[in-house]
Amino acid sequence: MQRRLANVNGWTVSAAIIMILLFLPNITIVTGIFSPSNENWVHMKEFVLGSFIRTSLILISATAILTISIGLSLAWLITQYQFPLRGFLKWALILPLSIPPFIGAYTYHGIVNYTGVIQTTLRDQFDMVLNPAHFDIMNLPGAIFIYTMFLYPYVYTITRVFLSQQSASLIESARMLGKGPWRTFFQVVIPISRVSIIGGASLVVLEVLNDYGVVKYFGIQTFTTAIFQTWFGLGDIESSIKLAASLMGFVIFILVIEKVLRGRRQYSYSTTKVRPLPLIQLKGWKAGLVTTYGLMILSLGFFIPIAQLIDWMILTFGTIPMDEFLTYVKNSVLVAGISATAIIIFALIVGNFSRLVQGKVAKLLPKLSILGYSIPGAVIAVAVVTAFIALDRFLVPLYQMIGITTTLVLSVSLIMLISAYIIRFFAIGYNSIESGYDKIGTDFRDASRLLGVGVTKTFFKVDVPMLKGAIISGFILVFIDILKEIPLTLILRPFNFDTLSTKAFQYASDEKIMEASQASLLIVGISALAIVVFYKFLEKEPD
Amino acid sequence: MFISIQNVCFSYPNTGKPALDQFSMNIEKGEVISILGRSGSGKSTILRLLAGLEKPTEGSLTIQDEVLFDGNTFLQPEKRGIGMVFQDYALFPHMTVGENILFGLFQLKKSDKKKRLQEVLELVELQDYEKRYPHQLSGGQQQRVAIARAIAPNPHLILLDEPFSNLDAELQVKIRKDLREILKKANITSIFVTHDENDAHALADRIVKLKDGCIDLIGRPCDLIGIHPHPVPQVTPMIEERELMSV
Ligand SMILES: Nc1ncnc2c1ncn2[C@@H]1O[C@H](COP(=O)(O)OP(=O)(O)OP(=O)(O)O)[C@@H](O)[C@H]1O
Ligand SMILES: [Mg+2]
Repeated sequence: MQRRLANVNGWTVSAAIIMILLFLPNITIVTGIFSPSNENWVHMKEFVLGSFIRTSLILISATAILTISIGLSLAWLITQYQFPLRGFLKWALILPLSIPPFIGAYTYHGIVNYTGVIQTTLRDQFDMVLNPAHFDIMNLPGAIFIYTMFLYPYVYTITRVFLSQQSASLIESARMLGKGPWRTFFQVVIPISRVSIIGGASLVVLEVLNDYGVVKYFGIQTFTTAIFQTWFGLGDIESSIKLAASLMGFVIFILVIEKVLRGRRQYSYSTTKVRPLPLIQLKGWKAGLVTTYGLMILSLGFFIPIAQLIDWMILTFGTIPMDEFLTYVKNSVLVAGISATAIIIFALIVGNFSRLVQGKVAKLLPKLSILGYSIPGAVIAVAVVTAFIALDRFLVPLYQMIGITTTLVLSVSLIMLISAYIIRFFAIGYNSIESGYDKIGTDFRDASRLLGVGVTKTFFKVDVPMLKGAIISGFILVFIDILKEIPLTLILRPFNFDTLSTKAFQYASDEKIMEASQASLLIVGISALAIVVFYKFLEKEPD
Repeated sequence: MFISIQNVCFSYPNTGKPALDQFSMNIEKGEVISILGRSGSGKSTILRLLAGLEKPTEGSLTIQDEVLFDGNTFLQPEKRGIGMVFQDYALFPHMTVGENILFGLFQLKKSDKKKRLQEVLELVELQDYEKRYPHQLSGGQQQRVAIARAIAPNPHLILLDEPFSNLDAELQVKIRKDLREILKKANITSIFVTHDENDAHALADRIVKLKDGCIDLIGRPCDLIGIHPHPVPQVTPMIEERELMSV
């Protein structure tokens, strides 16, 4: 074993360093639990912690149920039936994912509030004045609606891919045994797709727990908003660390539940070619109903908010100075580009290490660093700030030596924000790279080594070119996620540094929702474009 | 004796029983050895061990007095000078036929590279295919490229894992003949794995039969005729092996 390791030394060392850096900040959170409690924390524990947990539970369970209902029903209809616009809906139904929930939230608020298009139309055209309370969406049900409309695609895509890979015989045999479509759905489809349903739903739940924009805008008290308040409002870092630790505990609890629900049984499709399901042609009112259902969801999750955003953008175009706007674009592209590049390089190194060194530890460690994605942004923000302030303190002698007079250098720089992005989104890049490595297998690498080419040269000449697809897709996924990111960016950006998403969020928070539309549309446009490109990628790969 | 394999043992991590147990044999230069055996008998494993892709728990391997592994040394695969043709060829899909073959020739001067490339292309009769990509070739052509690529750096030993399994029956017969010619022309020592008796008998100078990770029989094809179909009693293989090896 030692000799095998000796050969991969450089890879092992780099991978170890990367993984330690990914873990380290979160350890500060864990140690924070054990620091003595101050008054604020005692008060919070007694009065508000319970309500945070209750609110979070309501938000995640309602959103999970609704996204599963919508996502799974759409996935089933698309894989099983032929109806008008099916081909279009099949990929278009992913599009709501391109709208970050906070943008959806302020857009819907703008649509339904007193000056919004619905109430003004009713007033002016029909002379109807309605009780504004009926139109208030800035509450728990409103937040659940927003999360559902913009997050259901997670469940939809994962279950649809799963169902389309199922052999036709499975579902046909259920039919042959005399089960109708409904009973087939409940007795065969739901049980076999349980793992993918839970997989999709847990992504939704993690997104909800990570969210800061929607709950802040709607004035709902949750862990993330409380972390911000204690940090910036009360200036109480210790208590916000403790809050972050509680939220982390909550997330771990959710992950455990997910594991239990998934069960040990992984339904994996056999490697032999599966016969695709022949579509059943729907006719008459049934076809109309299904198409209407699909279009309705798509309108609520995409077309309506987009139309409103475009309308606002036209109204306000020019009020934001172009050069200012371009600065936000530049900032966004800069931080997202640097972070995504770093993540992909790190993922390539860690992935190659995990492949070179056989053994349980080498396989397990990268999996653990993936936990970073389950940890909400606000928690990572707290962890990273704490770590960087400690680092600055440690480096003060060095700063003095090179003539820097301030004591905070790293913790006020972009490096801190970028590090936090890397920790939070490493998993996204790594997943993509790892599945790329899995797909090419080890034969090409072995073939190259047997031709006398060493591990590192093989990596550049064989692995990297063959991983091109995985590298591009991993980069785009990370890039888009960073483009939309809110809590980390708000906490960790240097003074006066704005990105498209922080600017959109600030405009919306300052009740200038129309001004927020321009930045929002750009974010949505880029994300939607990437999704369409991805769809083409995915469809090209039949197996 | 050119290649000497002594008492090689190996088991995969997390498996109880050894995949290979006390494998020993000597091979002369230019010999074509065939390893026969049922699925799971350890055929691929012995090739991976010789190539350095797995590390044996015991035993040693020397080629021309150079120790490739024993208790103290373990030479990395890229340093061994052993060529391998993979079951599904593992031709680099992003490189042309020419680039694939040149891949292992990085130590040569530019003019020598060109010369060697033409030589091996001629050997496998693919002169006109230098600029093609692997996916533009038929299965048989891909296989010949894989052989050419493995032969090009002049390895001491070339290993082939089920070289015929992806080909249709007609092509198998043709390629079998081609392969023997190529190997003999280039005077390369080779070990190829197969589960097809006919392949082994048509191609090999000597045949090794593996059973559950142990050598069951070893000998020239003519010596093994008639031994095969009957179940072998527990004790006989050892005697026969000794007899056959002393031939
Ligand atoms: N990566 C691995 N991990 C654990 N066990 C393995 C691994 N690869 C092979 N084995 C086991 O080692 C034994 C020998 O496998 P090997 O691949 O050498 O068989 P083989 O003779 O090449 O079979 P086939 O003709 O099917 O290719 C088998 O029992 C197999 O299950
Ligand atoms: Mg094999």
